[in-house]
Amino acid sequence: MKPKVAFFDFSSCEGCQLDALDLNPEELIALLGAIDIVNFREVMSEKSDDYDIAIVEGAITRESEIGRLQNIRQQAKILIALGSCACIGGLNCLKNHLPMEEALRIVYGKDAGYYDTIPARPLNAVVPVDYYVRGCPANPEELLKVIKAILLKKKPEIPGFPVCVECKMAGNICVFERGMTCLGPVIRAGCGAICITSGRFCWGCRGLVDEPNTESEKEILTKYGLSVDQIVEKFKIYNSYTEVAR
Amino acid sequence: MPYRRSILIVDDQQIVRDSLSDWFKQAGYPVTTASTAEEALEILEKHDFGIVIADIRLPGETGLSILKEVRVKRPWIKSIVITAYPSPESAALARKLGAIEYLAKPVSPDDLEKLVSEALSSTSEATVSTSIYRITTPETRRINQSFSLNSADIRAIVEGLLQEMEVIGVKTKQGKFVFDRIKSFEELCLDYDVTVLPPTRYLRPAKEALLKYQSGETPVVEPVMDTTPRAIIGIHPYDLKAIELLDEVFITSNPDPNYIARRNSTILIGVDCLYPSKHCFAPSMGTHIVESGFDLLLTDIGSSIVATVGSAKGAALLTRYTHAPLASGEEIARQKAVREEAWEEAILKHGLFLHIPKEKLPKLLEENYDNPYWETRSEKCLSCGSCVMVCPTCYCFDVQDEADLTLKSGQRVRSWDGCVLVDFATVATGENFRHDKASRLRHRIYRKGKYLLERYGKMGCVGCGRCAEACLAEIASPLEAFNAIAESDALKKQMIAREIKTRSELYLPQFAELIGIRELTAREKVFEFKLPEDRPLGHKPGQFVEVMIPPIGEAPISVSSSPTRGNTFQLAVRNVGSVTHAMHNLEPGAKVGIRGPFGNGFPLERLKGKDILFIAGGIGLFPLRSLIQYTLDCREEFGRIIILFGSRSPSERLFTDELAEWSKRTDIEFLETVDRADQEWKGNVGVITTLIPHIQITPRKTISVVVGPPIMYRFVIVELKKRDLADDNIIMSLERRMRCGVGKCGHCQINGVYVCQDGPVFTYAQLLTLREAV
Amino acid sequence: MTEVKVNVHYLTRVEGHGNIVLNASNGKIEELRWEVTESPRLFEAMLLGRHYSDVSQIASRICGICSIAHSTASIQATEAAFNFRPSEQTVLLRRLLYDAELLESHILHVYFLVAPDYLGTGSVFPLIETHKDVVVRAIRLKKLAYRLAEIIAGRKTHPIALMAGGFARIPETGDLKNIRQEIVEAFPELEATAELLKNFKIPEFTRETEYIALKNDREYAFLSGQIASSDAGLSPLDNYLNITNEFCVPHSTAKYTRNKRESYMVGALARFNLNSEQLLPRAKKAAVELGLNAPCHNPFMIPVAQLVECFHAAEEAVDIIDALLSRGLREESFEIKVKAGRGIGAVEAPRGILFHDYTYNDGGIIIKANCVIPTNQNHNNIQKDMEALAPAIINKPEDEISQTLEMLVRAYDPCISCSTHVLKARITK
Repeated sequence: MKPKVAFFDFSSCEGCQLDALDLNPEELIALLGAIDIVNFREVMSEKSDDYDIAIVEGAITRESEIGRLQNIRQQAKILIALGSCACIGGLNCLKNHLPMEEALRIVYGKDAGYYDTIPARPLNAVVPVDYYVRGCPANPEELLKVIKAILLKKKPEIPGFPVCVECKMAGNICVFERGMTCLGPVIRAGCGAICITSGRFCWGCRGLVDEPNTESEKEILTKYGLSVDQIVEKFKIYNSYTEVAR
Repeated sequence: MPYRRSILIVDDQQIVRDSLSDWFKQAGYPVTTASTAEEALEILEKHDFGIVIADIRLPGETGLSILKEVRVKRPWIKSIVITAYPSPESAALARKLGAIEYLAKPVSPDDLEKLVSEALSSTSEATVSTSIYRITTPETRRINQSFSLNSADIRAIVEGLLQEMEVIGVKTKQGKFVFDRIKSFEELCLDYDVTVLPPTRYLRPAKEALLKYQSGETPVVEPVMDTTPRAIIGIHPYDLKAIELLDEVFITSNPDPNYIARRNSTILIGVDCLYPSKHCFAPSMGTHIVESGFDLLLTDIGSSIVATVGSAKGAALLTRYTHAPLASGEEIARQKAVREEAWEEAILKHGLFLHIPKEKLPKLLEENYDNPYWETRSEKCLSCGSCVMVCPTCYCFDVQDEADLTLKSGQRVRSWDGCVLVDFATVATGENFRHDKASRLRHRIYRKGKYLLERYGKMGCVGCGRCAEACLAEIASPLEAFNAIAESDALKKQMIAREIKTRSELYLPQFAELIGIRELTAREKVFEFKLPEDRPLGHKPGQFVEVMIPPIGEAPISVSSSPTRGNTFQLAVRNVGSVTHAMHNLEPGAKVGIRGPFGNGFPLERLKGKDILFIAGGIGLFPLRSLIQYTLDCREEFGRIIILFGSRSPSERLFTDELAEWSKRTDIEFLETVDRADQEWKGNVGVITTLIPHIQITPRKTISVVVGPPIMYRFVIVELKKRDLADDNIIMSLERRMRCGVGKCGHCQINGVYVCQDGPVFTYAQLLTLREAV
Repeated sequence: MTEVKVNVHYLTRVEGHGNIVLNASNGKIEELRWEVTESPRLFEAMLLGRHYSDVSQIASRICGICSIAHSTASIQATEAAFNFRPSEQTVLLRRLLYDAELLESHILHVYFLVAPDYLGTGSVFPLIETHKDVVVRAIRLKKLAYRLAEIIAGRKTHPIALMAGGFARIPETGDLKNIRQEIVEAFPELEATAELLKNFKIPEFTRETEYIALKNDREYAFLSGQIASSDAGLSPLDNYLNITNEFCVPHSTAKYTRNKRESYMVGALARFNLNSEQLLPRAKKAAVELGLNAPCHNPFMIPVAQLVECFHAAEEAVDIIDALLSRGLREESFEIKVKAGRGIGAVEAPRGILFHDYTYNDGGIIIKANCVIPTNQNHNNIQKDMEALAPAIINKPEDEISQTLEMLVRAYDPCISCSTHVLKARITK
């Protein structure tokens, strides 16, 4: 019996879901041989409320979303948070630094009254989450890894170490040696350090490692020329929901 | 010019003369030989020749003098110079003197014959071959031989290799140097300081498949091997040493087929490091110069490149792609000089060197396991793994099975891992056996300075300095760690040495005044001493002093009182030997020599907060009393205090007033027994072990301190083990014959330890490793 | 008394969340709404106060499908504000990257979102059984476009190497050569797609409206040009506010726009109607074969126009790669001098014209930001189309009405999440 999988999205750009389909034909056919996709609003008209695994993208930014998420949690045996927004709140939390009314007023002006918004938060602030597939966008290979692990009933081996490990494995020259700064040393690996390999630096979209030495990282960033405010601003982009960005 | 076919061969070595002359004679030439220049010149006075073949180095005048004569006297004679020590200078001179060829030994007779025949058949003026270095190719190039190359030769080798296999070389990347695939000779930058990642990544790649598998009724597994032929060009000596270590790890025990497959299909071309990086400390680790471990090693000496052959593969490269002659003596000397200069300059410029000989590292680290350095040093550690990723001697890896989407097949992949990463030692239940940064940092440094050396006989750190460069928190350098530990250790030893110095210049005692004597039993007395100026002895409970009674001699005696009891100290002594007998006859006011205190004393820090179970047998109470008094004086620092004391008989009980005090105190538990009772005795009877079942203890929280006659230990320990006390929580004080007290005279040794220095206090766990103990 | 109630909650096979509501009785329409209910993420709150070097990172996340469009528009706005001119190589690489996204987005739309309606299924997945080659072709084309984007920018969704000033890393010549070959081999696949589309029974419906797109005189405009309107001719970019005229409506978290008429259309069909003369040869040929002629006023033909643009994008990609290879790729360094100023970046996202308008202070911090999203500009047109279409089909069975209205909205390829996020904003402190 193939497990039934449903995709849902909340406040997001839907990039993670779409990337999830970025597979070779053989891979996609093999995947559909292993699971049944019963709900995927973006590409399917068929819907079903009977599913075992829910893959959820997006953060919670509205009251109405809370109830919807709780229903999904009730139905699904397994809930996978897909992407930075779902796992750690992601970019959406940038607006949390403003009081909500002011944010709405800034955006909608006199029409602000039509809209409601609450401080953005990740899924696990509302319901328990079973698995996390991190990144902005989430790595489709990591999603497959998690799905395979669920099917094989084993624990998916997601790295707990920082991006630096993968960056060195990729043979990159350290960002700090190239006149830029990087959050890599306190950010969880699993992306293959792709941003550094492509010539930029790590913005922290996969979230902090479990026990980040943020004091040390902040010291290093200061040593390389950033002010305390600039450092906090850097962390804020993806990690506003954590302490480090205060 | 008259045509002559005869040949004059001049060489001081008979074998050369004979072999060449035989050859030419067989070829039909008339041959004359001479062994010195003088002889040759005499012959030339009388006879004519077509050609002279002369060695330069001859006893007496050189072969070049023959050329001088010949040019003047018989200018039609052509001359060929052969020499075992070719040099540009002598070549130039020979040319000036008219030589038509200048050849380096060993010379192939076949080639020589061709030259001779050419020379003799040509009627033109003597012409000197334009390539002074056109020297016959040696037939075999042997290991350890060095040859002289120019950059065209290097290019030929590289381009030749590029035709045949993957070539990895050093090139630039974003302002740094890396090992990477090269497509042309121009990409190579061999005069680099250090690469970001070591070349070992081609022998143990970041990720490699070990095997493929199919699950199902009959699972199938097959290995995945990489046998792609490769050449790595530009490996510095320290990296070659690292490869030697990896060979030891991966080949010698439990041979790793994947590593071996790669290793066997890789050609290693090393390059001397002439521009060490600012973090490099290879000389301290003995890895800055190598004599082996490479196929070919190149040294740029400026005027040429010396290539040292390290293996048949390397020799074959030279033979196949070059006509390189043997390197001259000068070149070899220059090779040595260039290396030394480069490293000397680096050390002068950067000041990086180990402050102790590297052989001392294992012991130094052994003794500093609990040094607070690890804690403070690791505070800034991000556990980011950069240090292990760039390290040439790190080789730990993770293994994961990756299934494909059919879930029926997949592969097993290994990838780089490191002990400094947080979850490296975490097990499935979630327990992490190296949870804190300090222990992880320490483990890495111990791998580099101790464990690998002890396990494989090769130093685990090659001093490349990559980790120091890569570490953002600037805490990774093993050199800094080793030096810091060495310093703190030296400081510690200095302080101890100073202490001993201020006390007693090692063998000179200070004199204490006997201020009190008390009789305990018929043969035991306790003596109270005062040092000059009322100085405290400065002892820890459990230490001993060497007591000198002039003119009798010296004996080691435990200090029986706690340092918390004022500036005087007490020695309880049984009258059993010459010195103790003399002591028993002392009167108050007598002056007695005191050396010490010596020994390690009881581990007070460990005891704090614990329940202490004191077990004293007979005069074992003498040393134990110092600790008991200490714990009573600092009562709040300890948990329960239980004292068990056994004497042979009631008349042999010691410190009876104190015993009475202890039995009265409500904050300690005191039990006493005698082996044999007398009529008045109302207390327990039986050996001391009989008391043990009467007490309740929580083994986890209890430390037992046991002192008594040797026979007592055995039985007491059995009882304590029955009560589940850990080996580490049983502490004893041992007695041995002692003379010096300072770990020199040798009498108190138990296996490798000195009781007077490493003891007399030991844990049972320690004694288990000493076969001679107990 | 026939009641018709159509209530499509969270329309499927579109990006984002929207509802179609139709209530009619006795052939008279009482309520007809295209409702946009997507949660506003308040992107302007995210952009304000940001340093320019982080801006395109954030702007990219407005949309997961057209992240390259948003990044590029954002970067162009920033560069315009600082008076920075990117190098020729950079412009070529950006156009090439653009072609990748356009190709991917259109293929995704045509195959995954639109085709199922015409092939009678709810999604592509059942087609794996019945039309396996169709699905495989769709996936391969999508993968090709992804791969092209990866080669240039490191990643297709939320590109990495694309940044203000230029590219953080130059693609490898070998990779470009290889993918060029793959693109050339993909033309037959595009042609097969055209064959497939020829068999679609595309509804007949016409409603003339205003069409707006970028236009320049060098090429079929995607990245640069002026604003062209089928009613009003050319306008410079900084006039965009007067053209878009955004306004709020109660049933939509997205704003609406209008210009010369009550609504206007942007996107593939608008571009085709305005610029079809500039299409490259293969695209022109495909348009003829598919029966698409400018001007076309049938919104159901938008997917056809998209396929025509796919031909164009693929051919242009090959041309650009050839140009890059013959010029030779060079590592370039660039320096941006920050200054106070305002810049507008306009690009033709796959779904239509997109504006990013930024004002910076002299520290390079954004103090004012406004974005007008293509789908924003189409919402009103969709509403008006529905209002024109519904009466014509009101007597059909309810599910047929629902199906047709859904197909109408889908044809527009709306990107609803984008459209709710960005509106005028300024720092008030």
